[in-house]
Amino acid sequence: MIKQKKVVVVDFGMGNLQSVVSALEFLGADPSISSNPAEVTKADAILLPGVGSFRLAMQVLIEKNLDEAIKEAVQIRQRKILGICLGFQMLAESGAEDGMTAGLGFIPTTVESFIDQELEGRKLPHIGFNQVRLPKSSSLFDGFKATDDFYFIHSYRLLAQSLPGQKAICNYGIDFLAAYEHENIFGAQFHPEKSQTNGLRLLANFLSA
Amino acid sequence: MLKKRVIFTLLYDSGSFMLSRNFRLQNVGKIDWLQKNYNFSHIAFYIDELIVLDVSRGERDIERFSDTLKILAKGCFAPIAAGGGIRKLSDARKLLLSGADKVVINSVLFDDPQFVSSLAREFGQQCVVGAIDLKQDLDGTYHIYTNNGACLRRDPVNNLLEQLPERSVGELYLNSINQDGTGQGYDLGLLGLIPHQLNVPTILAGGAGRSQHLIEGLLDERVDAVATAHLFNFVGEGLRKARESVSMYGIDLANWSPLSELKSDLSKKGIEI
Repeated sequence: MIKQKKVVVVDFGMGNLQSVVSALEFLGADPSISSNPAEVTKADAILLPGVGSFRLAMQVLIEKNLDEAIKEAVQIRQRKILGICLGFQMLAESGAEDGMTAGLGFIPTTVESFIDQELEGRKLPHIGFNQVRLPKSSSLFDGFKATDDFYFIHSYRLLAQSLPGQKAICNYGIDFLAAYEHENIFGAQFHPEKSQTNGLRLLANFLSA
Repeated sequence: MLKKRVIFTLLYDSGSFMLSRNFRLQNVGKIDWLQKNYNFSHIAFYIDELIVLDVSRGERDIERFSDTLKILAKGCFAPIAAGGGIRKLSDARKLLLSGADKVVINSVLFDDPQFVSSLAREFGQQCVVGAIDLKQDLDGTYHIYTNNGACLRRDPVNNLLEQLPERSVGELYLNSINQDGTGQGYDLGLLGLIPHQLNVPTILAGGAGRSQHLIEGLLDERVDAVATAHLFNFVGEGLRKARESVSMYGIDLANWSPLSELKSDLSKKGIEI
């Protein structure tokens, strides 16, 4: 079933794509890595992994016409997308890293850095497995307990306030959005491809959602 | 709450994996040996993170090292940090494209601070692990050594660490040359050497031989993760059991279901892995 779907991992030159591909292959999918807008538009499921700078990543996405391809697939063709780490942040309206940059605009919020007052001495970057409180009725978290552990590595975060949809929450001095699901929009601030069997389960859920 | 981490470090020299004692290396076997005798892809499900270091004493071959890294990364669904001899952005990129999520740097931390800054600019601060090898003199003074422990840095440790470029190193990996490979426990004295302004996660390495040592390290609030490179003590069921001991002691490690449970759950949904 998973094998017949056209799963595309978007390559815009930032991030460890191979890990995402290995995890998807482990689950029996046959993903292709692509930076070709036409191929992205035709995908059944899109994965957008990324690490690094928000501004630079959006710049590259636009240069390669991948922003329009992703918007067409997601907003017009109603294909599902899973953003991972920076890829998740890019689904938001804007990012505050090195000045405001517009994101893909699928999640109506802004990405901002953790601030000192909320961290209360906690170290930055936020690195390691952390406990995430999971929503009850979500296809992404089907088969999970009320809380489970996932691997994070980031210094910027999205807040969950006033967002529609299913929200998974993690606390690092402040409650922030660890993962998200609303209609065909999926995202994880943590790395499912690096979160052992918890992450593999989540990816399997995304593929069969 | 953020969990503490148990990290496994693999030491690599010219195609083989090594055991190290006070930085003297002993060859234990190649990658297929590691797979066959130690079922590495099984072990990888019992660690929070993997670090792979090219500590080759002769000339390094990054192509060959990357090929080995690719094989390791294929069956490892935990974060991987890799390093050894990184001097150029292209070296770092090569490792990141071969399955590493972070790069580990050592000598360049002090040889070329500008390069450290450019690494962080290019890949993000979270991507840079600064590995510091320390040796304690008979009089109790600590010194930093670089180049696989061959080169003594004469400046005081504190000065050297304070001079690291700001917001360029995402994690520190502190390794004791005295304790390395002895199996006699970590040197918690290393933790007192970190300047306050370097408020990044700290990995303690060098000396773990039993799970009690992992516990001693993790109980220190300055420690975010402990690492062990002791192949023989922790392979097979060793790491699984060590994790259990640490958890039973009340230290909060991450939990995930065994692969067999995931397999049977997914099979009910028609997904066979």
